[in-house]
Amino acid sequence: MTELPDDTVLRVSDLRTHFELGSRVAKSVDGVSFDVRRGETLAVVGESGSGKSVTSLSIMRLLSSPGRIVGGNILYRTSQGQVIDIATLPERKMRAVRGRELAMIFQEPMTSLNPLYTVGDQIVEMIRLHEPLSTADARRRARRMLELVEIPAADRRLDEYPHQMSGGMRQRVMIALALSCNPNLLIADEPTTALDVTIQAQILDLLRRLQREIGMSILFITHNLGVVAEIAHDVVVMYTGRVVEKSPVASLFAHQKHPYTRGLLACIPNASRDRGGAGERLRLNPIPGNVPPVTALPPGCSFAPRCSYRIPQCDEAPPLMAAGPSHLSRCWRHEAL
Amino acid sequence: MTGETLLSVQGLTKQFQTRNGTVKAVDGVSFDVKRGTIVGLVGESGSGKTTAGRCTLRLVEPNDGRIVFDGVDLRTLSEREMRAYRSRLQIIFQDPYSSLNPRLRVDQIIGEALDIHRPVRGSARRDRIAELLHRVGLNPDAARRYPHEFSGGQRQRIGIARALAVEPDFIVADEPVSALDVSVQAQVLNLIQDLQQDFGLTMLFIAHDLSVVEYLCDEVVVMYLGRVMERGPSREIYAMPRHPYTQALLSAAPLPDPAADRRRIVLKGDIPSPLDPPSGCVFRTRCRYAVEACAEIVPPLEDVGSNHHVACIRHGDPEVISQGLTL
Repeated sequence: MTELPDDTVLRVSDLRTHFELGSRVAKSVDGVSFDVRRGETLAVVGESGSGKSVTSLSIMRLLSSPGRIVGGNILYRTSQGQVIDIATLPERKMRAVRGRELAMIFQEPMTSLNPLYTVGDQIVEMIRLHEPLSTADARRRARRMLELVEIPAADRRLDEYPHQMSGGMRQRVMIALALSCNPNLLIADEPTTALDVTIQAQILDLLRRLQREIGMSILFITHNLGVVAEIAHDVVVMYTGRVVEKSPVASLFAHQKHPYTRGLLACIPNASRDRGGAGERLRLNPIPGNVPPVTALPPGCSFAPRCSYRIPQCDEAPPLMAAGPSHLSRCWRHEAL
Repeated sequence: MTGETLLSVQGLTKQFQTRNGTVKAVDGVSFDVKRGTIVGLVGESGSGKTTAGRCTLRLVEPNDGRIVFDGVDLRTLSEREMRAYRSRLQIIFQDPYSSLNPRLRVDQIIGEALDIHRPVRGSARRDRIAELLHRVGLNPDAARRYPHEFSGGQRQRIGIARALAVEPDFIVADEPVSALDVSVQAQVLNLIQDLQQDFGLTMLFIAHDLSVVEYLCDEVVVMYLGRVMERGPSREIYAMPRHPYTQALLSAAPLPDPAADRRRIVLKGDIPSPLDPPSGCVFRTRCRYAVEACAEIVPPLEDVGSNHHVACIRHGDPEVISQGLTL
């Protein structure tokens, strides 16, 4: 149970996170498994309701009631080389792990930074919570962190409040705050979704550089397949709380082995594909219907009602099957794709 | 009918007074929209694209400029005269959650627009509402339900039905698909195209998603800090952007293809404060090609052929041109 391959920082196996609402149970995460390898980026991609954010909150143990991990393991290798199971770790021990070993950045930095304290105070507080440093030493480290994330005039910025900064600058502060205790694993939940594309490009560049320099592992949650192509080594595609496809990034974009992934890529407008010879617009190929709520999933394959590859066998829930080298698909017909 | 200019915006300017000074949100913006076409207005936050869109319909009163719609300058009309034009000019909003009154049923939301501009009664009114719902892909029973009972994509369809109810000639669509999941986004984009073709609608499509604009729009207007940097036929602008800002913007958009060989231009820094925009060219502080003259001259929009206009004093420079070719 406490074995983890040397190159693996995090192994999530059969994670189940449910929300019990009276007699109904929302199985937001229902048997999710994946590994994050040292120094690499695993992207978890999905639309609203896929369970991607609940997965990341489960790993940080930041679920709010009535959300609860009801099964599975989250094995994590600490910086001391010890393997722990986050899923069952007592909250008191979790507090030493959260922030120090695992750090998280969110979509909207304004809601995760405290508006009443300067960014310097917030970074210093974080450092002193986990390490026995004097305020002056912690402040020096805080300044170095702002420099690391390429914030100009770091000394002056330390004394500014979050509202005095732009969205891109605040996301840099969030990254500085997250990295200030040298975490092994950074969980980034849609960190560039609220940013403009030119600022998004800066932040992705920054994350790639930091990964190269400090060798940190990243779990990157996103709905944007363009961003996945830019940043991921491996990709997990989620739909209604389950993993439907898992693969190295190149293989996923070259051959999708699940109709949902294929459908998602076909939906993104692409003028070279979706415009004819005379420049006329061709119709896009949307996935019909909507994502069903996790409280009312169809039996069998949950994607079947929207799927053009559907066969009678789809009434039976498919397991994740090997569909190529390191490529898994939860589709009975993956060979036909 | 295509080809004739339905809307011509000239020198549109909107200033807001704030505690800290004057913000020129829109500063001398000009563009034309031909009948039956879709023009994309793109730019990042703070570019003024939303304000420009609202000024076009006089939902926000501009301080200066002309908005010539079907031969009439809308700014010369009184409030009362303007009201007669409102049914021909409609808007679809970004957020399908805040743009529908939660206390009204769907038939009341759509019916309100009908009652004001195209009054019909009784069964004719019900039929018209059912027809509109059908047209945007909703069941007729949607009429008796409230907005909260619908998903984001369905609400956006309701917003579109409301805009169509008055049979407009021109629609400003302000980021109509940005809040939607990709699979739903494609459904709504197909709907917009169908409606555009079936009703011969003319549209100003405000967006920040560059691949959506490339696919959907016939022409593109690129804004930065309240000004137009470049405009022209989308095919041309996407194939060969001439303005350094457009080049950087297009290169920054992530493509769903890990094998793509991208030459990304990463812009330094943030968009400057609109309270204190740079002198001369507003983009010069982030531009890799900026020279001293850029601080002194406000670059005019110059025609570089086939209705393609660029506001950059170095647009003819081989270095800048070749950058546009390597994206």
